[in-house]
Amino acid sequence: MVALARKTLIHEWRRFLPAILAVGFAGLLQLLQAALVLGIFGSASVYITKSSADIWAGYPGTQSVSLGQPINRDVAMHLRMDPAVSRVEPFDWVDGNWRGTQGTGGVPVFICGIDPNPDGLMFSQALSPELRARLKEPGAVIVDQADLSSLGVKLGGTGVINGQRVHVVGISHGLRALGGVNVMTSLDTARMLDGDPEDTDRMTFYVAKLRDPAMAASVAERLRGASTFGPYTVWTADDFARRSQMYWILDTGAGAGVLFLAGIVFLVGAVITSQTLMAAVIGSIREYATLNALGVGVGSLRKVVMEQAFWVGAIGLLGSIVLGVLLLLLARSHDVPVTLDPITAVVCLLLGMGLAIVSGLAAMRSLRRADPASLLR
Amino acid sequence: MSMPDVIAPSPNITLQARGVSKAFVSGRLRSPVLQDLSLEVHAGELTLISGPSGCGKSTLLSILSGLQSPDTGSVHALGMALSGLNRRQTEHFRLQHTGFVFQGFNLFPALNALEQVELPLGYLGLDRTETRRRAAASLEEVGLGPRMHLRPAELSGGEKQRVAIARALAKEPELLFADEPTSALDAANGQTIIGILHTIARTHGATVLCVSHDPRLVAHADRVLAMEDGRILSDRRRDATHVASPEISS
Repeated sequence: MVALARKTLIHEWRRFLPAILAVGFAGLLQLLQAALVLGIFGSASVYITKSSADIWAGYPGTQSVSLGQPINRDVAMHLRMDPAVSRVEPFDWVDGNWRGTQGTGGVPVFICGIDPNPDGLMFSQALSPELRARLKEPGAVIVDQADLSSLGVKLGGTGVINGQRVHVVGISHGLRALGGVNVMTSLDTARMLDGDPEDTDRMTFYVAKLRDPAMAASVAERLRGASTFGPYTVWTADDFARRSQMYWILDTGAGAGVLFLAGIVFLVGAVITSQTLMAAVIGSIREYATLNALGVGVGSLRKVVMEQAFWVGAIGLLGSIVLGVLLLLLARSHDVPVTLDPITAVVCLLLGMGLAIVSGLAAMRSLRRADPASLLR
Repeated sequence: MSMPDVIAPSPNITLQARGVSKAFVSGRLRSPVLQDLSLEVHAGELTLISGPSGCGKSTLLSILSGLQSPDTGSVHALGMALSGLNRRQTEHFRLQHTGFVFQGFNLFPALNALEQVELPLGYLGLDRTETRRRAAASLEEVGLGPRMHLRPAELSGGEKQRVAIARALAKEPELLFADEPTSALDAANGQTIIGILHTIARTHGATVLCVSHDPRLVAHADRVLAMEDGRILSDRRRDATHVASPEISS
């Protein structure tokens, strides 16, 4: 069978270019939008995703890591007593106010008090053992590369948090916060910076490593029940990360915004693509009518149009993938928070292909004009 | 007594129209194009319908070929009543039995001559080698063997029309319809085209029905029907003095 759809697409590529570009840019926009939203709101759960804890214990109803309330220190003992748990570690969250020496004014900071030992769970995937060891020095802090300018500080520089002098002993990457600046310290330094005397015998979170991470859900379920240590609950790391992200996505209205924009992009792309495909069908309408006169059925002609729509979609999306990867790499290299998981990427690309197919269906209707009798007038 | 759907065709008669009328309605205005027209067309000869533009000859062609249905009357092609077929069956009938050549050549710009001819053959269910063989043979027959790998943009008008003829011919149709096949061509190319159509009728035994207002074609036709105002005025054969067959209504 002569590959009419593909040969026409190649020979008359200029005619199809607007459709290919429309699909390509629609796909690219969906990909970048998803990557940005996931990247930005992924910062809400960076404390979980960059750590190697399997379960988290915190105040019941906590919507996001940044909204943690103190829980009783005895919870740690309860966690440790469970045979499935191999290690328990506190994570101290203290809100603070940074004053730099460069005249940046007050900057709200999130003080993350962690275990500075080399086998610590918190931020184990973002801070090297060597880097976390530097936190053992009193008043030592690590800040993220992306936050240096907003803090007005450099490696080795100093600042004041909640009236206490701190000095920057290391720079991290990928620990950007949402709505503030993360400052990583040891648990002791965090305690020193915490001005609230009520917090002395309490901790914001306890995180734990399990002997078998696959058991996280059942262990969390089991540890949730006790009430002898005051109010607390236990989540799996995945649950708590999702909970933190969803809180921010919904709370800020970003979720609705993303859906709205995705709809607009789809609509505009479909209008351009279907118009272009229609023009291509109309441009060859006499040839299609001749084929129909020769007995080639309307169904077969429709297949040609749909095949063109498919190739327009495929070529356009190939462009989206190439450009998308380049732009995401560029964004990463400039500390712009972007993340894209395979499922989301596939959904974005399927949306793009759906756009092409819908446009093909719309263009197919133009084939009604392929009436061979009209060639005889 | 009603007409049977399938009539035994006389060995030579392949197209038969009986009492065919057609009118076009535009708003309240009803303009008759064909009026109670009856006609028989024979295999193995080139039949030319000539007449001034607007006389209804193209409408007659589209009704005889099953592209349009008449308001009244019936058309039998190869012994089959076309009015009894639905759209899909009509398309299938055309695929199996008819070829068309139009005034415009209607070739796909993206395909070379060989692919233009192969395209409809693919829908006949022929395999690749048979498709290629038939397409090449048809192009050879219209004298385009050496140019079968060129695209329409690289061919002259006469050559394009020959590709269109090869495209219709490769299906090996019993019925070949041509609508003003020479009107976009100069004299020499027009002569070549009508010569090819004539040869097809003679060598393939096909029924070739050609509609044209080009008086130069008359000399090449086996039979010439002159039309005016939706009626056939005269019916002449080149090789005989036989005139006005009885089926022509007065």
